[in-house]
Amino acid sequence: MTRRRRAAPGRRLLHPRWQQQRERRITAARAVREALLSLAGLLGRPVVNQAGEEIGGLVDLVARWADDPYPPVTGLVVRVARRQVFVPAEQVVELDRHGARLRSARLDLREVERRQGEVLLARDVLDHQLVDTDGIKVIRAADLYVAKVGEAWRLVGVDVGVQTLLRRLGPARFRWLPTPERVIDWAAIQPFGIDPGGVRLRATARRLHRLRPAELADLLEDLGRPARQALLAELDPATAADALEEMDPEELDALLHELSDEQAATLVASMESDEAADALRELEPGERDELLARLPAATAQRLRRLLAFPEDRAGGFMTSDLVIVEEQTTLAAVAERLREVAADQPDLDTVVVVDPAGRLVDVISILELLLAAPGQRVGELIGPPWPVTVGPEATVDEAADALVDNRRNSVLVVDDQGRPLGCIQADDVVDALLPGRGRLHFPRLLQ
Amino acid sequence: MTAPTTATPQSTGEGPGGRRARLAAYTRVLGPGLIASAAGNDAGGIATYASAGAQFGYRMLFFMLLVGVGLVLVQEMAARLGTFTGKGLAALIREEFSLRVAAFALLCLLVANLGLVVSEFAGIGAAMELFGVSRYLAVPVAAVIVWGLVVLGSYKYAERLFLLMALVFFAYPVAAVLAGPDWGEVASRALWPHLLGTKAFLFLGVAVIGTTISPYMLLYQAAAVADKGIAPDQYRFERVDAVAGAVLACLVAFFIIIATGATIGNTGPLASAAEAARALEPVAGHRAEELFGIGLLGASALAAAVVPLSTAYALSEAIGAERSVSRTFTEAPLFLGLFTGQIVVGAAVALLPGNLISLLINAYVLNGLITPIILGFLVVLTSRRRLLGAAANPPLLRAVATAVVAVVSVLSTVVLVQTVLGWFGIG
Repeated sequence: MTRRRRAAPGRRLLHPRWQQQRERRITAARAVREALLSLAGLLGRPVVNQAGEEIGGLVDLVARWADDPYPPVTGLVVRVARRQVFVPAEQVVELDRHGARLRSARLDLREVERRQGEVLLARDVLDHQLVDTDGIKVIRAADLYVAKVGEAWRLVGVDVGVQTLLRRLGPARFRWLPTPERVIDWAAIQPFGIDPGGVRLRATARRLHRLRPAELADLLEDLGRPARQALLAELDPATAADALEEMDPEELDALLHELSDEQAATLVASMESDEAADALRELEPGERDELLARLPAATAQRLRRLLAFPEDRAGGFMTSDLVIVEEQTTLAAVAERLREVAADQPDLDTVVVVDPAGRLVDVISILELLLAAPGQRVGELIGPPWPVTVGPEATVDEAADALVDNRRNSVLVVDDQGRPLGCIQADDVVDALLPGRGRLHFPRLLQ
Repeated sequence: MTAPTTATPQSTGEGPGGRRARLAAYTRVLGPGLIASAAGNDAGGIATYASAGAQFGYRMLFFMLLVGVGLVLVQEMAARLGTFTGKGLAALIREEFSLRVAAFALLCLLVANLGLVVSEFAGIGAAMELFGVSRYLAVPVAAVIVWGLVVLGSYKYAERLFLLMALVFFAYPVAAVLAGPDWGEVASRALWPHLLGTKAFLFLGVAVIGTTISPYMLLYQAAAVADKGIAPDQYRFERVDAVAGAVLACLVAFFIIIATGATIGNTGPLASAAEAARALEPVAGHRAEELFGIGLLGASALAAAVVPLSTAYALSEAIGAERSVSRTFTEAPLFLGLFTGQIVVGAAVALLPGNLISLLINAYVLNGLITPIILGFLVVLTSRRRLLGAAANPPLLRAVATAVVAVVSVLSTVVLVQTVLGWFGIG
C-alpha cells in the first residue's frame, strides 16, 4: 500500500539497469493493480442506483463454482436497510473500487438465498483455507481479486501476503489498493471444504491426479477436517491409499479416526501391507480389531501376521505382498498370476519360487521372465544370483547391510524353515533409516 | 493377538465386544481435557490458589466452586468445538469473524498467553531463589535452555523430567489432610457464600478466574482435540475427558486452598515462595521449601515451553503462514519468531525487580481480564448451527454460558476500573 511514491526524483541508489527493471516492474504492478478489484476493499462500499442515489452497502459477492478456471460473479449481496438482498450481475453497470452502480432503481427485496453451486466469496472463501495445486501447499486467502474478463466479472486470483492482512486492518481509505505481490492464479486453486452445495468439479480430479503421493499427503496433513474429507472424497481409493502411505503416522492415525469405518477399511485394504500394518499399529487394539474385521479375510490375515512382529524388526517393516510360485508352474501361468495382481502391486519386480514344502528356492526377476520362452517352466530359470535373505528378527541395520553388501534392491525375509514371509525393498530401509521429518503439530504435552 | 470382534458402531455398548470397544474409545480420547486442566494448575495457578488460601483462609472455596462449574461448562464447549469442526479456536475465529475482530481476539490471546509465559519464568525464578540461586542468573539461563531444547528438538525428553518434578504437587492433598483442617468449616465455606466485598478479594477472585479458566486452556483444549482427530461420533467419550479434566483441576485447586488455609490461612498476601512452601510442611517438615521448589520449577519449565509453542502455532495457523513448505521448525520464520519473541519478553519481564509472587498473580489477573473476551467468542462460535449443526449450543446452555460470560465480564471490568483508578491514586 505504500508503493505509490517509490521513485523519488534525484534519488538514484540503484544501478541503472536495476532501476530500469524496477520501474518496469512497478509499471506492470500498477497496470495489474488497476485491472484487479480487491474483494476486501469492495466490502462495505456503497451501492448506488442509476440516479446515483445510495441504496445500500456491498456485503458480499456471489460466484458460481463451475468447471471454469475463473468462477464468474453472478451477483452482489447488498445490505438495504436491515435486509440483505441479492442483486444479479446483469443489473450491475459498474463495479469499481468506489462501489457498485446498478442499472435500475428496481430491487427485488427478497432475502438472499443460496443457490446450488454458488458461494459467497467474503463469507465462504476469504480467510479460509485453500489448496494451491501449483505450489502444492495449503494457503489461507488474505484477499481475493476479481477482474473484468470479457463481459463478466470473474474471480481471478487469491492473495496470500501478510502485508495484505495489514492493509485490511488499516484505514478503509487504503483497503481497496491491491497488493499483488503474492497472488496465486485462481486456476491453480482448489477450494476444498468450501461446499457449493452438491457440485463436483471435474477439473479438480484432473489436477489432483497430477500430484505425487507425498504431495497429496502434505496437503492432507495441512488441511482442516472438512477440507481434508473433501479432498479424500475426490481421490480414488488406490491414489488415496498411496497418499496415506506417505503420511506422518500420527496424522494418519487421526485421519483414519475421522473416516467412517467402511472408508477406513477400504483405504487400509488398498495400502501396501507393510504400510497398512504400520497404520494399524498406531490404533488402539479394539479399533484395530474392528478395522481388521472389515477387511477382506486374506488381507486381514496377512496384516495380522505382520502385526505379530515388532515394528523395528524385518518382520514388522517388510511387505508380505509376494507372488509365490512353484518350480513346475508354466511361465504362462505365472504371467496370468502377475496380470491378476499387477493392479494392486505396481511395484512388483520379482516372483518367488518355492519347493513343494514351501521353502524358498530362488527369486526370478520380471526381466528374466520377459526374456524366457513362453513354453518354459519356472524351474528352468532357476540359477545364480541366489536371493539374499534375512530372518524376521533382523534389524533395519542388518537388512540395510544385506542390501548393500549384495548390491540388491530387495532382500527376502524367510522364517527358520526357509519359507518366504515377505520382502524388504530398498525404499523401506531408506524410510526406516531416515530421521522423521519434524512436522509442526499443535504442540501438546506428552504427544 | 486378540480375536477380531464384530462390533459395529451401532452395537457399541452391548455385549463384551462392545464394552471393550468402548473402553478402547475412552482410552483413545482421554488426554486433551485432563492435560489442558492440568496445565491450569501450573506455577501461576499454584501461586494464585496458595495466595487465596493464605490471604482469605477458606473463604475463596465457594467462589472456587462457582469457577469450577464455569470451567466444566467452558471446557465442554471448547472440546465440542474442536470435535465437530476439526479446527483450532484461532483458525475458527479468523474464518468466522471479520478480520479486525479476529485480529483483536488473536491479539488478546497473544497478550494473555504472554502473561502466562511471564508467570512461568517468574515461577522458575522464584523456585531457584528457594535453592539460593539469584533469579537474575536463573531466568536468562532457563530461557536459553528452554528455547534450545525446543529448537534442537530434544524437548520431549526434558518434558518428562519436568512433568515428574511437577508431580510433587500431589503432596498438596496429603498436606491438606495432615494439616488437620476443621472439615466442618471447610464444607460450610465451600457450600455457603462467604464472599468479601473488598478490593483485595475481588482482585484475587479475578486472578482465580484467570488461572482456572484461562484463554490458553480453551485454545489448548479445542486444538488438541482437533489435532487428535477426534470425530463427532467419539464426542461422548471426549466429553467425559473434558469434564473429568475440569473437575480434577478444581479438586486440586481446592486442596491447595485448604492446605494453605489450614497452615498459613488469614496471614495476608503471600510475600514469597518460601511462605507458600510452608503449606507443605505437614508433609515434608523442614524440607518443605525444597519440595515446593522442585515442583514449582518442574511445573514452570513445563509450561514455559508449551505455552509459547502452542500460541505460536495457533497464530501461524490463523495468519495462514504456510506450513507445508516449512515443515521443520527453523524453516518457519513466523512460527520461530513468535515463539522466540514470547520467550524473550516473558523472561525479560520476569527479571524486572519486585515481588515474583505478586508478578505471578498480576499475570493471572491479566488473564482474568481477557478470559471473558475469549469466552464470548467461544460462546458465539459454539452457538453457530452453520458450524456445529445439531451439536450447537441449545438455547438453555447458551443462556447459562452467556450469563457466565456476563458475570466474569463484570468482575473483570470492576477490577480493571479499580486498577486504573489506583494508578491515579483514586479508590
